[in-house]
Amino acid sequence: MNNYDVIIIGGGPGGYVSAIKAAQLGSKVAVVEDGNLGGVCLNWGCIPTKTMLTTAKLYKDILGAKEFGIEGIDGDKVDVDWNKLLDRKEKIVDKLINGIRMLFKKNKVELIEGFGTVKDKETIEVNGKIYKTKNLIIATGAKEVYPEIEGLKQMEEKEKIIYSKLAFDLKEIPESIVIIAGNQYSVEFANLFNLLGSNVVLIHQEDRILPYVEKEMAKTLERQLKKEGVKFVSDATFKSINEDGIVIEQKGKEKTFKADKYLISWDIKPNIKGLEALNLKKGKNGFIETDETMKTNIDGVYAIGDVNGKYPLAHVASAEGIVAAENINGKKSKMDYTKVPLLIYTSPELASVGLTEEAAKEKGLDITVSKFPLAANGKAMSEGDTVGFIKVISENKYGEIVGTHIMSNNADNMISSAVSIMQLEGTVYDMAKTILPHPTTSEVFMEAAFGAIDKPIHM
Amino acid sequence: MRFEFKFPDVGEGIHEGTIVKWLVEKGEEIKEGDSLIEVETDKVTTDIPSPKSGKVLELLGDEGEIIHVGNVFVVLDIEGEASSEDVENLSAAGGGTKDSFDEADKEKKLDEKEEVIEEETAGVVGEVVVSSEEIPPSDEGVISRKSTEEKLSKKALATPVARAMAKDLGLDINSVEGTGPGGRVMKEDIQKAKDSSKEKSQEKIQEKPEIKREAKPLQLDEASEGEGLYERVPLTRIRKTIAQKMSESKFTIPHTTVMDEINVTELDKFRKKYKDILREEGVNLTYLPFIIKASITAIKELREFNSSLDEVNEEMVYKNFYNIGIATDTQRGLMVPVIRDADKKSIVEIAKEIVDLSTRAKDNKLELSELQGGTFTITNYGSIGGHFGIPIINHPESAILGLGRIIKKPIVDENDNIVVGKMLPISLSYDHRIIDGASGSRFVNILKELLIDPDMLFLKS
Repeated sequence: MNNYDVIIIGGGPGGYVSAIKAAQLGSKVAVVEDGNLGGVCLNWGCIPTKTMLTTAKLYKDILGAKEFGIEGIDGDKVDVDWNKLLDRKEKIVDKLINGIRMLFKKNKVELIEGFGTVKDKETIEVNGKIYKTKNLIIATGAKEVYPEIEGLKQMEEKEKIIYSKLAFDLKEIPESIVIIAGNQYSVEFANLFNLLGSNVVLIHQEDRILPYVEKEMAKTLERQLKKEGVKFVSDATFKSINEDGIVIEQKGKEKTFKADKYLISWDIKPNIKGLEALNLKKGKNGFIETDETMKTNIDGVYAIGDVNGKYPLAHVASAEGIVAAENINGKKSKMDYTKVPLLIYTSPELASVGLTEEAAKEKGLDITVSKFPLAANGKAMSEGDTVGFIKVISENKYGEIVGTHIMSNNADNMISSAVSIMQLEGTVYDMAKTILPHPTTSEVFMEAAFGAIDKPIHM
Repeated sequence: MRFEFKFPDVGEGIHEGTIVKWLVEKGEEIKEGDSLIEVETDKVTTDIPSPKSGKVLELLGDEGEIIHVGNVFVVLDIEGEASSEDVENLSAAGGGTKDSFDEADKEKKLDEKEEVIEEETAGVVGEVVVSSEEIPPSDEGVISRKSTEEKLSKKALATPVARAMAKDLGLDINSVEGTGPGGRVMKEDIQKAKDSSKEKSQEKIQEKPEIKREAKPLQLDEASEGEGLYERVPLTRIRKTIAQKMSESKFTIPHTTVMDEINVTELDKFRKKYKDILREEGVNLTYLPFIIKASITAIKELREFNSSLDEVNEEMVYKNFYNIGIATDTQRGLMVPVIRDADKKSIVEIAKEIVDLSTRAKDNKLELSELQGGTFTITNYGSIGGHFGIPIINHPESAILGLGRIIKKPIVDENDNIVVGKMLPISLSYDHRIIDGASGSRFVNILKELLIDPDMLFLKS
């Protein structure tokens, strides 16, 4: 029988998580997927880029091993084998995709392979076959949008352009690379290729990189990356691109930057092909509008992940998927977007949750900002990673922590403590009184919390 | 076994008493029927006999202190030793609930108890833990222990900020429904509880008085009913509501009405002076906005006219906001849209709002919220006709002002001349349970003072 309680279109981190949760709650579930399970995150995004980053960091660490007391490393002999790196990435991705297949089997989620076309909210057609469902979850994700730059098409044909999704199509590590735009993906690629030994120039339109990230953190990162060799060009307008390079205008002056490759990570737009039969309400840039239960304007139709344009982040998609599955199964559940962590995988990493100082002030909150530098932390020193800090923003009335920003190696893991405390509406008093293990970089939490109340211990 | 004896309902609507004297001592062996305590209530002084035989373990409360119905005041050991489990129960009850006190700080607990009741009527979402649970002197102690456990399990899971906020706002966090994971009380829930507390207390007052009147079918002559002499038309929803509200008011509130006539000649002159100017601005300046202003001045002075009676808690609930309902005749029936915070609005603003509300009432375009939250109502039946009437109070409000048709009458002035006066007949109905006749007359006097001389109205309102 082709009747389901829930059909999910799209098997990315939103769709597949939602499917498993819905099945666990008792729904009969099918997932329609046209490509690989795991979506952008697993196939091109989070996991593959982190595999690359691991190799890149290791490479850099080996080159710098002397400082840590290791002799005998010949920098000229150490090299990154691009193809072996890709093999390793393939293996990891395959393993994870098989893992999802296994989880589907275990939870009796059916996988329908092919492109799903919605006939009406209860009817989906895949490869000419009709499937019926009581609830529909749209998890089709988003795709890249390319900027309009004169000559881009011709350069594409000459294989000079890499779009962020296709970075793995590179045959080798480019000698030089120009990265276009100043968003988190651009900055991550700039860091990555810099670690791998490329000459990197990052050209962006704003006055600073990462305009939505905590200002001091973004600035410190820019400074650090500059020190490591990345060139930054700000306030740029992209004019044209040809064999001689990319032409930009900066403060009225034209400049040309030539490189082996040009990497573009511009913007995204929702994948809404196949959904035309539904009269879905759409917001800015065509993203599907949803309420806090992830429901669209149509009863029984939900939209999760990149397609709703809220936060193009895998962990948000998964959380939204769980919320949708719970609501379908009669559990009251809603999304809270005020505590979504954001990670930027550079060296050091940036991790944020909640409000920045500027945003809190804009909201008219009465706040205290407490900052503590990594340079005063023993573990950070022993690891040779003292660039960075933690900033805790707390509201004065009850001391509630409303924002945490960490710049540090391992910030990706460290931020979870802040997310947990904030999820529980915890205060700086709770954080200060939490006994943190020594020696860890996470001790900076306690220091910043005491800083907000009175004074940090180690300063 | 440990047995907690709660101050029983001694009847005659008595909810509390003062401890005059303990008639037993701690450690004393007593028999069922022995007098435990002498208590003075507002009607009598009475001895309370023990429902059980056993040994007195604890006497809670000192002589001169107030105890409430439902409070544990004596703990007995009956049929053997108190088990550790039982002791645990009691200490939990002392710490977590408010109807029994820990010996160490019993005085504090007594205070706290009173606080809780105050909070309830102050419109705070909280639970009054009295009266429903006390057991008659002969019952088993099991019941009280069970309810203690139930309360214990209600200890709320809450976030640190939610706890701090609840403490600040004087909310009982255990009574707030949590919407966080696992029912955790989040700060948003506290905010919501705070916002709704005012409304809730009003709802509660509305809910309390149950009208125990059975509806009987109307008996008609069956034979003639078939001949087209009668026509049966089902009530519309709005008519059903009106019928129910009227019954609720009339059967709950002992109405009384005071009537008078007010000479509004001067007010009429004043009104006419500005009427045409304001008409150009699109304002229809009737008498009503002036009367609303005068009424607010009167109810500010005589707060009971802007109050409700909480029968269950036996408390007056005074409202510190002034939302004036305007009884409006519509095709579908009587509607009472509300002018919110009328005390903060000018006469012109009120005039505009009256037109807006009454127009939309007639077009059936009012929002439900615009019909709720009134604290005092004015009905202008005179606009259609009629001199005096007996308006029915818009329950749970405490008073309603009826306005008759203004007519010219011969008046004897201060120089004993007969002059023509424009006379406004008014009828003020009020809840005679909480408003005495003298207050009714005082209210009318204030209205007269302000409406006879418009300058006075502007000086005082």
